[in-house]
Amino acid sequence: MNQLYQAKLLEQAKQPHGAGAVPRGTEDAEAINPGCGDEIRIKLAWTPEGTLEGLVHELHGCAVSAASASLAAKRLEGRTRKEIEAISAAFAARLGRSGFEEEWGDFQIFNGIERYPARIHCARLVWQALARALARENQAGEVTP
Amino acid sequence: MKEAASQDRQGGFDPGGLRRQFAILGRELAWLDNAATTQRPELVLRLMDEFYRKHNANPRRSVHQLGTEATLAYEGARSKVAGFLGASAPEEVVFTAGTTAGINLVTTGLARWEIGPGDEVWVSAAEHHSNWVPWQQVARRMGAALKVMPLKSDGRLDLEAFRKGLEAHRTKWVAVTWVSNVLGVENDIRAVCEAAHAAEARVLVDAAQGVAHLPVDVQAMGCDFLAFSGHKMYGPMGIGALWGRRELLEQMEPMIYGGEMISRVEDGESTWTEVPWRFEGGTPHAAGAVGLAAAVDWLRELPPAAHEHEAALARRAAEELSALPGVRVWGPAEGRLSLVSFSVEGVHPHDVAQVLDNRGVEIRAGHLCAQPLLRRLGVESVARASFFPGNTADEVRRLIEGVRAAQELFT
Repeated sequence: MNQLYQAKLLEQAKQPHGAGAVPRGTEDAEAINPGCGDEIRIKLAWTPEGTLEGLVHELHGCAVSAASASLAAKRLEGRTRKEIEAISAAFAARLGRSGFEEEWGDFQIFNGIERYPARIHCARLVWQALARALARENQAGEVTP
Repeated sequence: MKEAASQDRQGGFDPGGLRRQFAILGRELAWLDNAATTQRPELVLRLMDEFYRKHNANPRRSVHQLGTEATLAYEGARSKVAGFLGASAPEEVVFTAGTTAGINLVTTGLARWEIGPGDEVWVSAAEHHSNWVPWQQVARRMGAALKVMPLKSDGRLDLEAFRKGLEAHRTKWVAVTWVSNVLGVENDIRAVCEAAHAAEARVLVDAAQGVAHLPVDVQAMGCDFLAFSGHKMYGPMGIGALWGRRELLEQMEPMIYGGEMISRVEDGESTWTEVPWRFEGGTPHAAGAVGLAAAVDWLRELPPAAHEHEAALARRAAEELSALPGVRVWGPAEGRLSLVSFSVEGVHPHDVAQVLDNRGVEIRAGHLCAQPLLRRLGVESVARASFFPGNTADEVRRLIEGVRAAQELFT
């Protein structure tokens, strides 16, 4: 019945990995879904070695955007900035397009999202914020390996 | 189902006959998103089709037979819309792409020349973005203040606050919606106009959500401009109309320059043709105008019981939604026209709408292009079911069942 709302998506959405308070003004970046006004604010923490220690997100959004934020936070932890950029590009190439292969694990819950074009924005929300945060760090010259 | 069908016929109106005029409703979908766009009856589709098949030419330009027929069809549509609105003359009706285009024509073509630093422009807290942003932008550009008419707890305009805040000679324009697309209440336009005119301000009415449900009479309303869209009243997308008082239309600058809106073009300057054609530069959406006129005819044939039926469905939906634990219904207890916006605790409106869609029930979810209002209600987005006279009590039952299913899935 609910193809989009598989058990795995609901599970991620109900207990999103990385969910936490990011008070307005303290975020590294935010993203807004223009269709519904949904909003995510994220904060990135890096280890001294330059890998991502954590992606904390405060989301006012739907189950799809929550599941996506959760999966992103999980997948990106421990990665370098370069790796994160590569993963972001790979995600964008797959979401609503070629779909996610087996190695992407739970990201496969988004396979078939092209049948719900309005929801692609929801799944993309955290990644938009992430891209903005990385661009901002670049500008600020805080280049990590 | 049987029980629901008999409930539909209470009040002497049978939605079944009306539904059969809408081919698209042959799909197994409950269309409860009429406030976003209605569907079109066969009459509208047939007359648009006939225009292209039998009478197509570029209107108002050609002396040949088809050109004459196209011109007659296009100008005939204008007369019909003028009659529908209670306009004094067809020349007071400008065909536009829709409500948004009509409002932008007024803000850029007239209001901006009348507003200066220190002046005020009022919008109501219930405005759609299309009747908020154009005024916000013109006020910003001209150094004027944007003032917001508050709403009372029942969702209607707080006219007392408005009257107190109005300042003669400073308040230049008032932009107000006839029917809120979120709360479903009718506003007292006449009272707004009386107060505004006493302060020598002009009033533009956004009638997008009103025309399909209430009889229109621009004279009785007392407004200066009124804009609406065809597609929210069973007509085509991409066509709408702006009605304006003749003397104000004469003062308004065109927004779209080009073919058929000129009187004479010199190398360095041009003069404009008459009102309203000077506002319709470029080849017009003639088939759309024909379809809009057909929608006017169709709408006028609806019996009063049809409008009572759609309001009864909205009332029923509001009552049954309110009875569900964790569901909050927005808008007034009394006087709801044909829609109901609601929030489900712990379930995002997108998710409510998606679960309903999986069950073939089509509703809208999001900020409904009314972020200032939703912010005042303390929510970012809502779900909305909106009705037309062809909807049924069974579809309300499916809506309620779907909301309960969403609650079960997410909590």
